[in-house]
Amino acid sequence: MIEVNNLHKSFGNIQALRGVSFTAPDGMITGILGPNGAGKTTTLRILYTVLKPDQGSARVDGFDTIRSPMEVQKRIGALPDAHGLYPRLTARENIRYYGRLHGLKGSDLENKIDELVRLLEMQDIENRVTEGFSSGQRVKVAIARALVHQPQNVLLDEPTNGLDVMSTRSMRTFIRRLCDEGKCVLFSSHIMQEVSALCDHIVIIAGGEVAASGTPDQILAATGQQNLEDAFVSIIGTDEGLE
Amino acid sequence: MNALQRIWIIFSKEVTDNLRDRRSIFSALASSLIGPALILLLIVILGRSVFSDPFDNPLEVAVSGAENAPDLIQFLEQAGARINPAPEDPENAVRNGDVELVLIIPEGYARQFASGQPATIRVVLDTSRQSALATVERARSLIEGYSQQTAVMRLMARGIHPAVITPLAVEQIDVSTPESQSLIFLNMLPYFVIFGIFLGGMYVIIDTTAGERERGSLEPLLINPAARWEFVAGKLLASVPFAIATLIFTLLAFWAAFNLFPVEEYIGMQLSINGRALVNIFLLSLPMIVLASALQMIIATFTRSFKEAQTYTGFLPIIPALPGLALAFLPVRPALWMMLIPTFGQQILINQFMRSELVNPLYIALSSVTTLIVALVLILVAIRMYSQERILFSNS
Repeated sequence: MIEVNNLHKSFGNIQALRGVSFTAPDGMITGILGPNGAGKTTTLRILYTVLKPDQGSARVDGFDTIRSPMEVQKRIGALPDAHGLYPRLTARENIRYYGRLHGLKGSDLENKIDELVRLLEMQDIENRVTEGFSSGQRVKVAIARALVHQPQNVLLDEPTNGLDVMSTRSMRTFIRRLCDEGKCVLFSSHIMQEVSALCDHIVIIAGGEVAASGTPDQILAATGQQNLEDAFVSIIGTDEGLE
Repeated sequence: MNALQRIWIIFSKEVTDNLRDRRSIFSALASSLIGPALILLLIVILGRSVFSDPFDNPLEVAVSGAENAPDLIQFLEQAGARINPAPEDPENAVRNGDVELVLIIPEGYARQFASGQPATIRVVLDTSRQSALATVERARSLIEGYSQQTAVMRLMARGIHPAVITPLAVEQIDVSTPESQSLIFLNMLPYFVIFGIFLGGMYVIIDTTAGERERGSLEPLLINPAARWEFVAGKLLASVPFAIATLIFTLLAFWAAFNLFPVEEYIGMQLSINGRALVNIFLLSLPMIVLASALQMIIATFTRSFKEAQTYTGFLPIIPALPGLALAFLPVRPALWMMLIPTFGQQILINQFMRSELVNPLYIALSSVTTLIVALVLILVAIRMYSQERILFSNS
């Protein structure tokens, strides 16, 4: 469970967030939709503890990201916008490094890696060094290492960015599966169709503020539109920066 | 899981990762061989010319008007000089370095000499030309010898004891030995030891900090449950085995260069470093490894890319080189204040170990502690930089 309350964040003169609040409950897929530069990545970065808000707070399973960052880090698995791998290590070694940092070891760790390798269908690449991996293969490794400690909360920043159609499809299946396991899944996207297809709960961000939030039905009702994509455009006021 | 276990995990991952990097290995190996190779090269190229005995070669003298002073010419030839005809324009020839000196015997010489007056001869020389000084000195002493001999004969012909004109008997005792001259080569060793230390772990530091950010793997790494100082510690420590390996290679290469290579053929004496000195130098150098890594870490943290980090850290070894190179030519006596300057104190002490001199234990302690304190402060700065949000954004 993720709770975000009145987040403000500036970088120099640029106000990236001006009071973002929402809740992402367990067992649901929450999508943050917004054009590029709306504040999606900044919100996620505050949630996964690498940025501190100027004002407001963010909590994961009740732990504050500023006061107890370690507790938050133990409970989240995150795929940041930048998810580079170690090119001289194999896929398995990349995953193992993160597992060990989370305190896993021995056969327990290896079993968890085996399970993720199976789930993400990466048997053919697990023992290859990651130099020269395709973007789909890279994302798989980055997701596997982020989830090796089986976190309750999963944060994904534009997880389908740069993926081909097949990889995007399997990514969506994987996100649904996490939700079915009862996890709290929060992902950001600027692709309207993706958010419509996946999300139980939608938070629309524009200009550093929450423009609307709720279930797809609630958003349709609030805007009086027939389909979600028209509703998004009417809320944000433009379809610039959206797909 | 405690902090030490996490630091170990970060450390062992970085070591494994960098052991697979040819650049890290090559940088460690190459930088350890540069110093010994360079010194051997200097010995081979310069050794013979600097240390060959100038009296082995005949003295070449260009003489103008040799026919005016057959006695003097005969004296010079008997002393082993080779008399050559003088060039057209003696002053220009000497200025250009075509000949080292020209002896001019004017026409009036014979008349002055015969009448017992001081007979004028001119020596054209260039005192700013260091390489000609030995030749000039030899020629001058020969001519003075002839002058002296003539004076003695004239006095004796008049029944006066020649001792009258030598009120002082100056005896020179030259303490320079081939050994002390050859130490110029050994004096370069301390600097190359430090050079190896600064380059040995450099690639590992750049790869684990600037490289990590450039690959886009820093942000996901920092989301793992570990404190920022633990990342700094793990990454810093990962460079240490590489720097230590470089240091060991450097010392072994020096040992091999001096003890196995026939240095004696080139500089007339055998240089040697004993095993005990090597061990002492190794131990004395360990604090500098921490210092170098911390300094490189700070630079690699604020630079924007791998390449930029490489450029800046590449300049680092030049800083300790400045006093070190001066030291190679102007050996100074160790003083307490020198020990307070990291890398400078060590260079002096390494020099002492090499010469098997007695080394003051207080100096060793002082230079080690000072270096470690400075390194610790730098590490704290690196941790501070690592704790800032800015560390993620240096790319943009």
